[in-house]
Formats: sequence, C-alpha cells, structure tokens
Amino acid sequence: MSSILRLRGLEVHFPVRGGFGDTLLRRARLVVRAVDGIDLDLVRGEVLALVGESGSGKTTTGRVIVKLTRQTAGTVEFEGEDVSNLWSGPALRGFRRRVQLIFQDPYETLNPKQTIFDFVAEPLVVHGLGTDRERSTKVLAALDAAGLRPAAEYALRYPHELSGGQRQRVVIAGALVMDPDLIVADEPVSMLDVSIRTELLHLMLDLRKERGLTYLFITHDLSLAWVIADRIAVMYLGKIMEIGPAEAVIRSPRNPYTQALVSVSPSPDPPTQGERARRTILEGETPDAAHIPSGCRFHPRCPVAFDRCRVEAPPLFDVGGGQAAACWLAEPGGAGTVERAAPTAEG
Amino acid sequence: MTIDGGTFARRVRSERWRLRARRLRSTLHQFGRERAGVLGVIIIAVFSICALVPDLLVGPFETVTKASGESFEPPSFQHILGTDELGRDILNLVVHGARISMTIGLLATIITVLVGAIIGIVAGFLGGRVDTFLMRITDFFLILPTFVLALVLAPVLREVLGESAQVGGIRITLLVIIVVIGITSWASTARIIRSQTLSVRERAFVDRARVIGASGGHMMRRHILPNVTSLIVANAVLVFAGSVLIETTLAFIGLGDPLAPSWGQILAFAQDSGAPGLGAWWYTAAPGVCIVLVVLSFTLVGNALDAILNPKLAGRR
Amino acid sequence: MTEVTAPPRDGRGRLLPRESDPTAPMLQVTDLAVRFKLAKGSLKAVDGVSFRLDEGQALGIAGESGCGKTTTALSLVRLLPANGRIRAGRVDLYGIDLVANDESQMRRYRWREISIVFQGAMNALNPVQRVRDQIAEPIEIRLGKSQTAARARAVELLDLVGIPKQRGLVYPHELSGGMRQRAMIAMALACDPKILIGDEPTTALDVMVQAQILQLVEGLRAELGLSLILITHDLSVIAETCDDVLVMYAGRAMEQGPVSRVFTRPRHPYTQALIRAYPNIRADRRTLEVIPGQLPDLRNPPPGCRFASRCPHVMDVCRTLTPPEVRFDDGVTAACHLYGTVSGDGSLASDPGAVADGAIGAASGPSAPAATADDDAAYGDGIEDEDRSPGEPRSADSLAGDQSRMIDRAAHTIVDERQHGDPEQRA
Repeated sequence: MSSILRLRGLEVHFPVRGGFGDTLLRRARLVVRAVDGIDLDLVRGEVLALVGESGSGKTTTGRVIVKLTRQTAGTVEFEGEDVSNLWSGPALRGFRRRVQLIFQDPYETLNPKQTIFDFVAEPLVVHGLGTDRERSTKVLAALDAAGLRPAAEYALRYPHELSGGQRQRVVIAGALVMDPDLIVADEPVSMLDVSIRTELLHLMLDLRKERGLTYLFITHDLSLAWVIADRIAVMYLGKIMEIGPAEAVIRSPRNPYTQALVSVSPSPDPPTQGERARRTILEGETPDAAHIPSGCRFHPRCPVAFDRCRVEAPPLFDVGGGQAAACWLAEPGGAGTVERAAPTAEG
Repeated sequence: MTIDGGTFARRVRSERWRLRARRLRSTLHQFGRERAGVLGVIIIAVFSICALVPDLLVGPFETVTKASGESFEPPSFQHILGTDELGRDILNLVVHGARISMTIGLLATIITVLVGAIIGIVAGFLGGRVDTFLMRITDFFLILPTFVLALVLAPVLREVLGESAQVGGIRITLLVIIVVIGITSWASTARIIRSQTLSVRERAFVDRARVIGASGGHMMRRHILPNVTSLIVANAVLVFAGSVLIETTLAFIGLGDPLAPSWGQILAFAQDSGAPGLGAWWYTAAPGVCIVLVVLSFTLVGNALDAILNPKLAGRR
Repeated sequence: MTEVTAPPRDGRGRLLPRESDPTAPMLQVTDLAVRFKLAKGSLKAVDGVSFRLDEGQALGIAGESGCGKTTTALSLVRLLPANGRIRAGRVDLYGIDLVANDESQMRRYRWREISIVFQGAMNALNPVQRVRDQIAEPIEIRLGKSQTAARARAVELLDLVGIPKQRGLVYPHELSGGMRQRAMIAMALACDPKILIGDEPTTALDVMVQAQILQLVEGLRAELGLSLILITHDLSVIAETCDDVLVMYAGRAMEQGPVSRVFTRPRHPYTQALIRAYPNIRADRRTLEVIPGQLPDLRNPPPGCRFASRCPHVMDVCRTLTPPEVRFDDGVTAACHLYGTVSGDGSLASDPGAVADGAIGAASGPSAPAATADDDAAYGDGIEDEDRSPGEPRSADSLAGDQSRMIDRAAHTIVDERQHGDPEQRA
C-alpha cells in the first residue's frame, strides 16, 4: 500500500493588505490561514474524499496539490519525490502530465472560443507530444472513454452546443488525455442535475478501475462522499478534524464536528423521531479564516467542549481501524467517546 | 472501434475553418440587422472605393498646371463641388484626398492597435512588476498632449529622414503623421485591452490551461487573445475615426503635405486662400462633410459591433 | 337596514381578503399550463399541473432543472418573465381566481397573502442599502406605514429570523450567505402572508447552514401558522421538512402525496429512479443508479407520457396516451399507465388499489430506448432548427387529455389526510 501523494505540515496563509488606518495605528496585519497545517497520505488507487464546508480550505488544498497555488509552508511529495519547490522547468512539466484537476464549473472551464477537439488536444500540444495524427487518435480515444460517442461528432463542436453533463465529460476527457496517475476533482458534479451526476460518478469510478487512477475528491456533500469514497477526510477551518474509512467516519464519527455534520446531512428517507432528536445543529457560522479560535478551532461551537479544548489544539489521535480524530475526547485513555459526552436525546 | 487519427486530423483542420466561417457568417448576419451599422459600412465602402481607384472616378489628380476651371467657381454642372483658388476641381481634390486620409487612418490604426493590444495583454496577464512598469509608460503617453507632441516630433523626424524621400510608396511627411498618431493613441487602447485581460485572466479556463502546463505565451495567445479580439476590433474602429480627426487637425496646423493633400490639408488650403471670407463655402464644405461622414460611419459601425459582441448589451435588444 | 357582514377569517382567525371564501381550500391549483414564447416557437414549461395546499401544510415541489417547478412557483404569484404566459388553468386562493385578476388586483394579494423567496435572492440584495431598510421598504409601501414604524417592524422581523438588531443595520456584503437568506425570509414575511414559497431556499448554502435555515422555517411555520411551498431539486430537503410532495418532470406532475408514503413507497418509475439516484447517507448500500436518456424537447413535446423515453417500464401505450392520474388508498397519486389505462368510457381498466405495492418488477415492457442523437436537439444551439413532428394524430392526444382531466377532477375532491401526529415509520 504505497502512498502516491504525501502532504506534511501544509500551510497556505494569505496576508490581508491592511488599510491606511491600520498602517497608521500600527495594527497587526491580518493573515487568512486558509490551510493551517495538514498531513495527508493518499494511497495509490483509492478515492479519498476531502469534505468540508465553505472556508474549510479543501479547495485551496486541491489547488496546492496541482500547483495552481503556492503553499507558504510544508511539503508535498509525489511518488516519493519532493515536489514542494517545483515551480518551473521540465520537471514541473513532467509533474503536470501525471497530476490533473477536474474543475467544478463545466460552463466556465471550457473556453467558449475553443472547439472541443482543441480543448482536449491542448495538453498534448502544450507538451509537444505526438504528431497531428497521434494527437487526433488520443483525443478521440479520450472523448470516447469519457462517454461522448461518436467522438468525432463531439470533437468538432463548440462548448455552447453541449449540455452541462456533456461539458463535464469533455473536461474529464481533457484530464485523461495525458494518462495521469492522480486526479484532483473539485466538486465535479455539484453544478449538474441529480440524474446526470450519477452517470458522471459512475464514469469516474469506471475510469479508476480501467486506468488505475487515484482520486482526491473534494466536496461539501457528505452524502456524495459516502457513496463514492474509500476514505473520508473532514476539514474545518484549514485543519483535518477526522480521517478514516468511509464507514467508520460516517457511522461512528469520533470528532464532534463530524458527528454534527453527519447528523444534519439530509437523506431522501424521511427522518424518524429519533433521528430528528439526534440532529446536532450547530450554533452560528464558521468563523472566518483570519480569526481562528484558540486551542481547538472548533471549540466555540462544539456541544461537548471543555476547558482543555479552549487552550490546547488536539492532534489527530489514532482510534483504530485506520481512523483518526483530532479531539481530546478521542485521546487514548482520555475522557471518552463523543457519544458518551453527547447531550441525552429524547425519544 | 479504431479511429484513423490521420484522416481525422485533416478533417479537424478543415472543420476548424468551416466552423470559423460559420461563426463569421452568423456575426455578419447579426450585424446585418443593425441598420445604423449597415449604413456606416456603406459609407465606408463608398469612400474606400474613392481611396482605391480615384483615377477611375475623377481622372488624375489636378495639379496647378492641370487645373480645369476658373478660380473659385461655385458648384456647377461641370464642377459639381466647385473649384479652388487655382481653378482645380474640388471633387477631384476630395476624391484623391480620400486615399490620403483613409490610408493614414488605416496605417495609424494598425500601429495603435498592435502596440496597444500587445502591451495591454502582456501587462494585464503578467501582472506584478511588469504590469506596473508598462502601465507607468502607458500613463506617460496617455497624458502627453497630442498636438504638442506632433508639433515637436514632425519637424524632427522630417529632418532625420529627409524631406522628399519615400518609404514603401508613402511620402515621409505622411509617414511622420502616421507615426505621430500611433504614438499618441496606443496608450488608451492599451488601457482598455489590459482591463479586459484582467477579467479574462480570472476565468476558469485560464486556470485549466495553467494546470495542464501551458506557458504564459501559450495562454496569452490561445486564451486571452481570442477573448479580447472583439474588444480590439470595436476599439480599432473607433481609433480609425479618431485618427482621421487627428490627422485633419495636424494638417490644418501645417503639418500636412501640400503635394498629397488629405482632406485636412484641403481645409488648410481653403483657410489660407481666404475662401471663407470670399464666400466660397464649397471649398470648406466638401472636405468637411467628408470628414464628418467618415468619422460618423466608423462610429456607427463601432457601436453596432459593440451591441453584437457585448453580451450584456445584446440582451436588451 | 343593511347587514354588516363580518370580514372572512381563516382557521386561525386571521383576516382574509374580502372577496375570499373561507370554506374554500387555501390554495387550489387546477390544470395550470404555462408557455414561454421563444424566438422560434413556444416552450410548454408547465402542462397541466394540479395540487392543493391547506392551512399550516408544507408542500414540496421536487424535480430536476427544466421540470417547470420554478415556473409553477412564479405563476402562483404572477411574476413570470415577460415572455411567459399562463395559458390555462386556475390558481384559487380561498376561492379567488388569481389567474383571472389583472395586475393591480394581484398586487393586493402578492406579498400580503402569498409571498416568495426567489432563487438566489440573497445575492440580489441592494448593496448600498442597509438590510433593515430593505426589509422596511415593502412594509412602508404596501402597508402604508411610516418609515419609523416600518423600520421598527423590520427589526422585529429580523429578530424573528434570528438576526440580532445590530446585525440588521449592516450592509448585505457584511453578512454571510446564511444570514442573507434569513434576511430574505424576513422580507418575504414583511406583510404577514399566509403562504410562503421558497424557491431553492438552501441550494447555495453549506449543509449546516441549510439545517439552520430549515429549522428556522419549521419554527416559523409553527409560530406563525405559515403554509409552505418548498421548491427544490433536493429530495432530501423535502423529506426532512415537508408534509406532502409533488414530483414534477418535463412540465407535468408525475406523483404526489404524503412525503412519508411517496419516499418510502414510490409508485411512479421516475420517482423511483430519482430516489435511487440520490446518495443516501442513511442507507447501507453505497450505490447510485443511473437514469439514462435526456429531457424531451419542451418546444415540441412527444405525445403520451413525458417520461416514456427514459422509463424502464415503458409500454406502447405510454408513447401515445397521456397517463391517467391514479389515486391510491394511502393518498398518493401517480400519473402512470402501469396502474391502469383509461379506456373508451373514461373508466380505469384496472383497480389502482391492487397494484399499489410499488413492486414494479412484475411490469413488463420493452426496455427504454437508448438516447439518440435526436435527444441532443434539446440542447441545440439554435442554428439548426429541428422541427420534430409530434408523431401521433392530434385527436388521440386530446382524447386522452380530456379523460385524464376527468380523473383529475374526481381525484381532487377527496379530502386530504393530515400527516401530523402520525408516528413516522419506514416501510
């Protein structure tokens, strides 16, 4: 079980430019800590879902991995090699051939002035791969693999002639054409209808089997993570709160934030009274990343926070079965489980 | 299913042209619905014909020795627009003047738009220090007073290049004017294009190009440029109109070429010969109306293009 | 001596418009049909939808994009875009026909009896006006109150939706998405409406904020006796919040009934497919089912059932006759030929009760045809104008239409059941 990707201590901090008043009064400049120290191992061939609400840092993490955004601290290792400082040159090109990104918005990812063929062929053109003939073959094969058949017909169209689902398939074809090893998918289906979503998710999973791909699936939808992921990592305000096999994280969450998220994630089964009572609807909203609380960053909203939580931030504790939770309650030999500390439910 | 890459590659190339032609046809079709724009095009076409084949329309250019009429003849059947102080047929002068004015306008526009677009795109896309540097230069040129600059540059350039030399069939005097207009106009185009570049740069497909490893040049050529082209074209049309006006003024203040008179130069002749005082209204009216018509027609075309190409305006029609 | 009639009041004693009939259902929509005029032809966005809303009830209208749910909502308040027209049907508010009214009459009901939170409204707030003042505006205009009184009421409303007074004085960009949505709800409640329509109220929000908003809305329902119509593509939201659900597809109602019944035992193949296509965090299975095919072209919809081209249980009759609305014993209505086909005399060919167990495996029929290139016509770029002929002679369709309308009328005179107090059970 080898790791195809390793993140250690990854941080992305954005300084916020102070206004004139701030400079005058010598107020400290604010720093937006979008990603605030993440360790992550991505196993070859797995689908890891990176789940979080807005402001959690999941998209920024994805962008760092595909080198669209520069990290301010920490390391990124790909296939055993440190690529943290790789920002130019042929080695970067080599990296880009093997790590690709699927974007969220199929309406914006395609240049309206480019034909589908040009879009999918572009990576090959940029890297100078293949002759015209070889490129055509690869492009048609990629479109076909993405479910757009007959490929030749789609290749000659413009984006505005295609539906959202078809466009997203084009995006997937564009990511496949260089035969990458790792694909970061940032909310790839959130802008599509439900019935289209399932088709595309099936496609992505089929491609994984056929090509031995690894996916980092970024989403805010825990239900989606439930059906597609092998492992789930839950992020909050720039840190990972919990990570583990999907069954473990969803069915027996050890971090109160995860537990709350799971309890409020709706499902098409009408909820029972018991389920309604167990819902933990948190108060307030996620604080902004420039004002992160002290200690455990979740403590102001945590229903079971105690003194230590306000002062000291917990590390990720291993709770067995490949699951880890960043919570003092999960400390081995510690105060106990989330369930025990949870408020008693009625009914 | 095996797909022959080779045949398809050829097909892609031919299809691409076919698709481009189709989109062009669609744009033209839409343009056809803009009545004001079509009128502008017709007027431009008329003047372009004058510019291209003046000899066919009115015969060779009348010089002093070949004047065909009496001095200051009012418009008549023989001289539809009257004659000047030397007896030259004004219609003849004006039609030949079209060639000069339009050529100057065209070449000045090319220089302006080329320089302005390149600097605008590069500055907007690269950002940072390059952007700051280029924009400082642009601002400098933006605030330079056109005519002061022209008055200074023109004689200097003429000295340097020699009075009666010719470059590529264009007389030095005219070339100087073209260059001067280009130098003073590019800055505003650069600002406009840079602004559009900034917004195109933020779109997801540019990010995608970056992710697949495209170089800056590739992104600017293949992604930024196609999405600012419509703005460039609309801007170029207005620059043309502006160039004609600038040239007119420069000629009027004495920087024109009397041997290859543009409309502005004809106006200068009219002024110098005392025509207004003598009641020879046809002398100033003819070139004046031509200038107004050309500027107006380009403005109409520019507006029509803007209406089609700017999606927000298009929705309101 | 002239008799002074007391003004009509509803079940909770609230005042109703003079012309209303307190004994009539609160909201009754009958055979609503809405068309959009396009550059070429017209789009039949809603084609014969009927439903009913009672006091205190929460109805969810579910469906994917293009099914006509937003158009239905906008029709209820008569705020369709310029090229939209209600072509047929009635919308009766306590017996008052809202469709027949002209705009000035409609203004008396809009916002005061029935009000709406538009899709994406939270992004349509005026950026240069304080939130409190934006909420005070409709109060000032519609209820004729002074600015001071209106502002005071606005603060009350903001408090009702969970925005403290100081937060109400800020500008919209200083509020988060969830807060802005609360402000929009406050604005919709400004004139104390009886019915609140929410069009995709939680779509752009995080799941925790969504839970908060839904909790707020449930609270308001109880406190103010509001009736709700929730429009969303998210089945789970409806499952959590609503009493009844109406499932729409391609402008028609496919199934409607109590949430607890429809979601646990869906009758209509589309509903079944839709539920199976939903990721379900509470289910043990971790699979997703696909609905093959694409929406029909609503400029020229095919005759018969709109779902025929994608239905796994399609039969020949589905492609020619509009399916009848079949009413089951537990209050669910489904428009599907599987449960009975209308015969010549207008009676149903089979007893709907007998087929009600939702075990669709027994039904036979050719499998759904694969999506053809023709289906792409729905997404054409308008350059090629695909003129598809309906295929069947008009008369067959109108006949089926008449027959299904007859069944409609019969079905909807039955009093609906109350779902409160039912211990929630899963089948």
